[in-house]
Amino acid sequence: MVFLTTQLWLRNRLTDRYWRIQEVLKHARHFRGRKNRCYRLAVRAVVRAFVKCTKARRLKKRNLRTLWINRITAASQEHGVRYPVFIGNLVKCQVELNRKVLADLAIYEPKTFKSLAALAKRRREEGFAAALGEGKEPEGIFSRVVHYH
Amino acid sequence: MTARGTSSRFLASVLHNGLGRYVQQLQRLSLSLSRDGPSSRGAREFVERDVTDFARRNPGVVIYVNPRRCSVPKVVAEYVNGAVREENIQGKSAEEIATLVQKLADQSGLDVIRIRKPFHTDNPSIQGGPTVPILAASLKPERLQGFTEPLFSEIQVEM
Repeated sequence: MVFLTTQLWLRNRLTDRYWRIQEVLKHARHFRGRKNRCYRLAVRAVVRAFVKCTKARRLKKRNLRTLWINRITAASQEHGVRYPVFIGNLVKCQVELNRKVLADLAIYEPKTFKSLAALAKRRREEGFAAALGEGKEPEGIFSRVVHYH
Repeated sequence: MTARGTSSRFLASVLHNGLGRYVQQLQRLSLSLSRDGPSSRGAREFVERDVTDFARRNPGVVIYVNPRRCSVPKVVAEYVNGAVREENIQGKSAEEIATLVQKLADQSGLDVIRIRKPFHTDNPSIQGGPTVPILAASLKPERLQGFTEPLFSEIQVEM
């Protein structure tokens, strides 16, 4: 004879349900409304929050670059230079400053930014003189570049 | 996990001056281990061999060794700015505890959380920052007469 009654009394019961739901709710405590209290709503909100957190890492780079470009545009417009002119002529003068540094300079070092805008303007004029003067104008001073070979 | 769900701080030094670098920030180290008990074997070896050398190398740190009946040996580090860090040394070997204690001694008491920016300066501007004429494009000319002082002269700005 095989006794089966004893084994039938053993049941697998979930004992740490409380801690499993607390693991999810702790990430939802700063949410608004019932999603910070009720597990069923909190699960969906927490998953969406994590997904947005990962996707935002790519967006942050784009948003910050747009912000820098807007700030540089505003600052260069005050000196009478448009953004594409400013950036293009700075690159031609081999001033390899990125947009983050240019935006910080525009906010905190206004005199430096003014001189950079003047440099861009002057390089632009020298570029026009070289293109339209057909060799009769002397070479521009700020058009000289260093060749790294 | 998210930036708003976890705490963060700005980069800072201990007293916002340079003194924190030349003063050891670890004040007290309390080791609680058990005399018998397999989980504190590494802690006992550390206490036998390395704790006196560590104490001699760091004269500014007060080290308390508390042998008591505990199943889980712990090391509690208290810092000059009041921060308390508790670490579990259960089952660790003496070398691992030595490296852990050295790491605690090298730390300052500032929280180990996300640092928002890897730089901080009290004086972000050398040339005086933006002056009102920078905003002149958005203001009408009549309202500008009389404004000559710079905007950021007294305000501390996070760079």
